[in-house]
Amino acid sequence: MTAVSGTQRLPQSVAVDAGFTAWAALIVLTLVCIVLQDSLPWVVTFPTAWQVPIAAAINVMSDGVVPVIQPLFRSISALLDVPMRGMQACLSWLPWPATMAIVVVLSLKSGGYRLALFSVIALGYMIIAGYWPQSMNTLGLVLLAVPIAVGLGFALGLLGYRFPRFRPGLLAFLDLMQTVPAFAYLIPLLLLFGFGPVVGLIASAIYATPPMVRNTMLGLDRVPSDITEAGLMSGCTRRQQFWHVEVPTALPQILVGFNQSTMAALSMVIVAAIIGGFEDIGWEVLSSMRKAEFGQSILSGLVIALLAILIDRLTLGFAKERPNGPTPIMAWMSWRRLAAIVVIALVAAAAQRFFLPDAWALPSTTLREQIGIVNVALTSVVRDYAGFFNGARNVVLYSLLLPLRLGIVGAATPALWGFAVTPPMIAVYVALWLAIAGLAMKAYGWQLAVATCMAGLLLFQGFAGFPWPALVLGIGLLAFRLAGIGLACFAMLGFGFILVSGLSAPLSQSMYLTLLAVILCLILGGSLGVWAAHSERVSKILRPICDGLQTVPQFVFLIPALMFFKVGEFTALIAIMLYAIVPPIRYVEHGLRNVRADVVEAVRQMGATPSQVLMHAKFPLALPVIMLGINQTIMAALSMLAIAALVGTRDLGQQVYIALGKADAGLGIVAGLSIAFLAILADRLTQAGARQAGSIESHWKS
Amino acid sequence: MLKRPVWNVAGIALALVLAANAPAGSAGLGAKDEPIKLPMLEWTGQHVSTHIAGQLLQKLGYKVEYVTAGIFPQFSGLADGTISASVEVWLNNTGDIYPKALAAKQIEDIGSLDLATREGWIYPKFMEQVCPGLPDWTALNKPECVQALSTPETAPNGRFLDYPSEWGSRSATILADNNMPYTAVPSGSEGALVAELEAAEAAKTPLLMMFWGPHYALAENDVGWVRMPPCKEQTSEHCITPPDVNKVVWSGFGAKWPAAYILLKEFKVNAQEQQKMMLAIDKKGQDLDAVVKEWVDGHESIWQPWIDAAKK
Repeated sequence: MTAVSGTQRLPQSVAVDAGFTAWAALIVLTLVCIVLQDSLPWVVTFPTAWQVPIAAAINVMSDGVVPVIQPLFRSISALLDVPMRGMQACLSWLPWPATMAIVVVLSLKSGGYRLALFSVIALGYMIIAGYWPQSMNTLGLVLLAVPIAVGLGFALGLLGYRFPRFRPGLLAFLDLMQTVPAFAYLIPLLLLFGFGPVVGLIASAIYATPPMVRNTMLGLDRVPSDITEAGLMSGCTRRQQFWHVEVPTALPQILVGFNQSTMAALSMVIVAAIIGGFEDIGWEVLSSMRKAEFGQSILSGLVIALLAILIDRLTLGFAKERPNGPTPIMAWMSWRRLAAIVVIALVAAAAQRFFLPDAWALPSTTLREQIGIVNVALTSVVRDYAGFFNGARNVVLYSLLLPLRLGIVGAATPALWGFAVTPPMIAVYVALWLAIAGLAMKAYGWQLAVATCMAGLLLFQGFAGFPWPALVLGIGLLAFRLAGIGLACFAMLGFGFILVSGLSAPLSQSMYLTLLAVILCLILGGSLGVWAAHSERVSKILRPICDGLQTVPQFVFLIPALMFFKVGEFTALIAIMLYAIVPPIRYVEHGLRNVRADVVEAVRQMGATPSQVLMHAKFPLALPVIMLGINQTIMAALSMLAIAALVGTRDLGQQVYIALGKADAGLGIVAGLSIAFLAILADRLTQAGARQAGSIESHWKS
Repeated sequence: MLKRPVWNVAGIALALVLAANAPAGSAGLGAKDEPIKLPMLEWTGQHVSTHIAGQLLQKLGYKVEYVTAGIFPQFSGLADGTISASVEVWLNNTGDIYPKALAAKQIEDIGSLDLATREGWIYPKFMEQVCPGLPDWTALNKPECVQALSTPETAPNGRFLDYPSEWGSRSATILADNNMPYTAVPSGSEGALVAELEAAEAAKTPLLMMFWGPHYALAENDVGWVRMPPCKEQTSEHCITPPDVNKVVWSGFGAKWPAAYILLKEFKVNAQEQQKMMLAIDKKGQDLDAVVKEWVDGHESIWQPWIDAAKK
């Protein structure tokens, strides 16, 4: 993403003073707001008189524009409908042994025996579970979305590479494509393209394009200048230069983009199913979620996970060279042999369909009914451990969720905590936080003291009751200090947009849920990551769990979470955390495992205890990687907001969902853009933070 | 864009050819070689109704195609004829697309399905011990009942599990109208409502929620319906009345498939029969098409008059 140069640092003493004054002023402002909130209620609740009906305006505009441009989009839709139906007809016509044979030879070529075995197991599972036709429909969608995304992505990447002028705009557009929840643009797509599977195809293609663009640009940017020059010296034309020198050199990176595009397209399958139009595996997952059938949802969710892993390994195998060369079977499976086998399989398939139309019918299985046992088991767990689950939920609700949302003032009521706040208690609270801030200042400097003070104010007032001017200015100031005036303006404009759209309550709800989920994920996931970095066994156990959490559709986990913990914030928190906990585990483990061994050894030689080695050597060295992990955690948590809406939240994700339900294109776009804004802002802030951490680290090293 | 007139001409030509060749008796069938597309929405009851309609249309001599569709997206398909007819449309939950398409005459409401429906507040049966006096609504106001239904998020009020936000919330208004100490919590999805009902039944935890029938979850869980407080006003915001379930077709349906249009106008579904079939499909794991075929074969007296009306 965009690089703001953070290498130049202001003279230390001046910067500290200016920053400190600004932060101190902000704390004073917040305090004033809190004290005056009774006489000036608008500092807490954004006044309705200042709201602008942006969503309604968008709807009026789209009502005018859509009929005009609709024919163009409808003809695109009709154009795409033909290959879509063709692909699906073809895949459902192909007898399953032929499909399997083709996938197996591709696996042999891409990854050898092990991958071939995996593909047999994966496809065999789809048959046994009784989801073969649905799986083929899904595969058809992916096989069609990927070429569109790859073609479009390559062209856009080329554009960004050739004309650097376009690049900032292009990057901003890519950010939007990746961060606006797809739920938000389903309705506009539906209005433009009409009902049908094509809408799902287009949504998939939109989401799958950005990774290809980014990797194409990265690959072309990284072509070494000596290779380019060698091409020029040998007298290439511009076109030869590009196609025969630059593209082949950049190919490995471009193929990585291809792999990521494929995965992105597959991850949109469920969202595409919300529209409907054809019976695919995403529809099965959604249907079982609607009936709260956990067993069936695992069964169908697993199909998506297996497809994802299979496609990932297949495309990665083609994208990356193996370090010790191809295995004998991969070498034997030349492209010619592969093509021959595919042709044989197709001829055999045609012959079978013609002469023995009833052979190779899909075996009928009852696994889907038998899996009902899982539902019974789940119900019995709910019955036997209801007290435990209730207790766990209530502890977290009383001690964490409610105070954070309502603040100490809101939670300390006779109904919740059993007592009311009195002035002496407030005095004690203030004194306590001031003491902590003082300690923080002494140990780590004024930055941490300021952060402590702000945290104390936030906890006192709660997210729902925090004065919005202080919030907007605070984040603006943070953006200014970390990344400069550009990001500060972006942050304040973005918040201004959300506030005047009348979404301030869902905004604070989203920020509070996301922040809490991210903090808990970092603590829990970070600890697991540390453990995994020091134990092979833990690492081995965690890896498939992480793979599962990332590839099995999130909808599947919502059912048990709902049954255990009921509709509410706690369940939403669990749902978000189940997805967002993977990046901290992975990045912390990766970061700690890859710190320079000689530095760690030197610290150990100096007599440091294992915990000292961890805290003072490994962590600081792994900080850039860990910062990237934090970034990814926030992105994952925000991307879950729209899905967590299914368990009854009140955040921006719910607004997106309401818009989808009411087919309100304007509200969907506004709420979707709000989530995208939060994601982009968080991304830029953590990247800027990582750069500052990096520069501190290099400072420390020298 | 350019293609459209060509297609239209081709279509008219085809229709003329078909009309010329059609035997005299089935002149009313219309474009019988073009499949009638029926949406399969998200609940089993609708699948049953749709398949009954589909099998009857096939008996008339039509081709039928079933397409999966979201409950709101289907109206977008109905509006432009991508979907031909939807036979079970709950008018209490149609979103904003439906009235717009109806006003623009892109879709046509062809009358009631006659499905006896129910909507209101339900509770698992064991709640009658917790809140003595149920099913009368006044029992809910007793302190021990409020206390039992109270959760940290709603305290000191009791918790009322409401429909998902996008379905609209009349219950919150009705709770306020009657000064009932309950907070309505939106549930997010149908799956969440069902999951809560099943969990409450399993763990015997108190629950009060908004629900509707016929629904397969009611067939397997023993629930009671609250006798509702009197409505403050007789409007849909302040009052829960059994929702109407109608049949809706694409506006060009009648002209394209005249006999099918008459059949669907006559078409009715009985709620008890539907619920029986739902249970056979969802819980006994029987095949939808087979279950419906069995019913159709056994109830000729019900549907034969519709077919006869359509053939006239």
